[in-house]
Amino acid sequence: MNFLKRAWLSLTAKKGRSVLLILVTSAIMLFVLAGMLIHSAADTATTNAKKSVGATLTLSANRETAFKKMKKSSSSKPKLTTTPIKLSDAKKIASLKNVASYNVTATTSVNAKSFDAISTSTGSAGPGGQSSSSGDIAVTGVTNTSQVSSFEDETNKITKGRGLTSADKNTNNTVIESELAKQDNISVGDTIKVKSTSGSKTYSLKVVGIYKTSSSSTIQQGPGATDPANTIYTSYTFANTVKGSKYANTADSVTFNVSAPSKVSSVKKAGNQVINNSKYTLATNDSSYQTVKSAMNNVKSFADKIVWLVAIAGTIILALIVILMIRERRHEIGVLLSLGESRWKIIGQFFAEMVIVLIVAIGIAGIGGKSVGDRLGDQLVSQQSASSAATISAPGDKSVQMSGKPGGPSGSGSAVQGGGGPSSAGTSGASSQQTDLNVNVSVLNMVELGGFGLAIMFLSTMIASGGILRLQPKKVLID
Amino acid sequence: MLKTKDLSYWYDQKKNSLFENVNLEFEAGQSYAIVGQSGSGKTTFLSLIAGLDKPKAGSIELDGKDINKIGLTNYRKKDVSIVFQSYNLFTYMSPLNNLLTAMSVTESRHAGDKEYAQQMLAKLGLTDSQMKTNVQQLSGGQQQRVAIARTMVCDANLVVADEPTGNLDEDNTTEVIDLFQQIAHEQGKCVIIVTHESAVAQACDNAYRLEKHEFSAV
Repeated sequence: MNFLKRAWLSLTAKKGRSVLLILVTSAIMLFVLAGMLIHSAADTATTNAKKSVGATLTLSANRETAFKKMKKSSSSKPKLTTTPIKLSDAKKIASLKNVASYNVTATTSVNAKSFDAISTSTGSAGPGGQSSSSGDIAVTGVTNTSQVSSFEDETNKITKGRGLTSADKNTNNTVIESELAKQDNISVGDTIKVKSTSGSKTYSLKVVGIYKTSSSSTIQQGPGATDPANTIYTSYTFANTVKGSKYANTADSVTFNVSAPSKVSSVKKAGNQVINNSKYTLATNDSSYQTVKSAMNNVKSFADKIVWLVAIAGTIILALIVILMIRERRHEIGVLLSLGESRWKIIGQFFAEMVIVLIVAIGIAGIGGKSVGDRLGDQLVSQQSASSAATISAPGDKSVQMSGKPGGPSGSGSAVQGGGGPSSAGTSGASSQQTDLNVNVSVLNMVELGGFGLAIMFLSTMIASGGILRLQPKKVLID
Repeated sequence: MLKTKDLSYWYDQKKNSLFENVNLEFEAGQSYAIVGQSGSGKTTFLSLIAGLDKPKAGSIELDGKDINKIGLTNYRKKDVSIVFQSYNLFTYMSPLNNLLTAMSVTESRHAGDKEYAQQMLAKLGLTDSQMKTNVQQLSGGQQQRVAIARTMVCDANLVVADEPTGNLDEDNTTEVIDLFQQIAHEQGKCVIIVTHESAVAQACDNAYRLEKHEFSAV
């Protein structure tokens, strides 16, 4: 009967002690696993956030230069004047290698004429149909609605008709929100009329699609267009027409889709060389990624602390238990020594017992680890959300919100939800980033946990084994 | 077989030696009793010849080899079997597993032979169910028989026993003495028993008394 069989016999004969050991070890392993899972989920969330926000570049006016000019101005009423982006400049970037496509965005506002705008009780919009100097309808002129982030992340969904494409350039086709359509009984194929906020020029628009928005954002273009349902999408050429002739072939911003996230930096570098940097800014819109990264780093750091604290405390606790166990089993050790058993084999027997306990404990931790990891992860993310929401505000007034997903495991495959890419060039005003830790137990996690557990068991057995190495059988068995 | 050469032992100072320059010889196939008063040092002597402690001076030779050179762990494993007053069995095991463990640890030629272990236990009067029950459920006499059976299944030619009948009644004492005699005479082993009981000493083939730091034949 070798020492492994003795270990098994000892464990099965002393069931109470074995159950106690399994419970203590399971608790330790459970927290170590939870920490490891949170760490790995935070890593995945960061990677996914990078993937989701990292493949686009946005060309916009250089507001910093405009601010400087405004400050230097000798005028009594200095005005911030930004340069609209010339499409010819945008096309230079579009022609660069690895730029897959681009989307031009031009925004303006108009007043509803043949219909009523949605009025909200909290909004400052006047009654529908009444002219407002700031406009009650926000016009977002784009090349392609499918490339607008709010459509990409499915905040907006086409429910009837179709979205706008590059074929709608130079047309008065429009896509309107379903609530607006419902209120004014507008269907696809109908024509609506809007008028400019300055002057009395009227434009007829043909409704080619209806979209439904789940956005609750109230920050729209101009104080008169506070309800998201009052946003209509048109071709950018129409928006430029409303804005005036000097805006022909310009854009407020242009979003470039890069073929791969890894190519973004090189495209940005090349793009900066072909544009006038005093007029334009070419930026990766990674503020939300940076926020996620920072928050996830905090979560990872906390998870690491959990792992190490539990591991150290676990080693100490288990070492104490093994020391007590060895003291209780001095007699047995003495008999083994009197039979000529080597001290290392006796230590091996104790280690084997702990490994058997560990295997059961890892099984238990594997079952409960996801649940504990989910709860702990949600708690950590919620705390991060609270602090992020209070302190983080991304450039361009895009506040970045993070929210945990309380109430247990996430069923979603994606760790990061929501749009992270450049928004529709400021038209939505606020973007929302929902970060959710997707805690899942993988084989690799279990292997890592096994390694960690073995190290803890080895250390605790070694710490406790000093007594065995010093034990004199004569003292135990005869004295 | 076993020889002590100028064997001496003391705890703190040499002048307080338990015994000095002891020269004794023990032969295979014979039983020996070491008698003496409590505190005379007879158990210490036994712990030296059992390889549980080292002498302060002198040496112990087994078939002409110093046991220190053999290595005390190796000596205990291969050459000597010990029977204790308090049995010293593995309390979480059955008698059968106690024997199998001893056979495995000492690398007995019968290691792993369950039938052989069962035969030995049966020879010593244990029933099949007793062989498989926990040793703590057996009486003192039965536990001591298991301890003796443990020495019988190991290959060691030297059996040392420390007050093996100390916890037993008269009937069990007689049975245990008979078993030791069998081990010496039938298995040809050398049996050395430390005892304070004259009946045990009288039953052995040879007896030494440890008195006033010296051994003398009885």
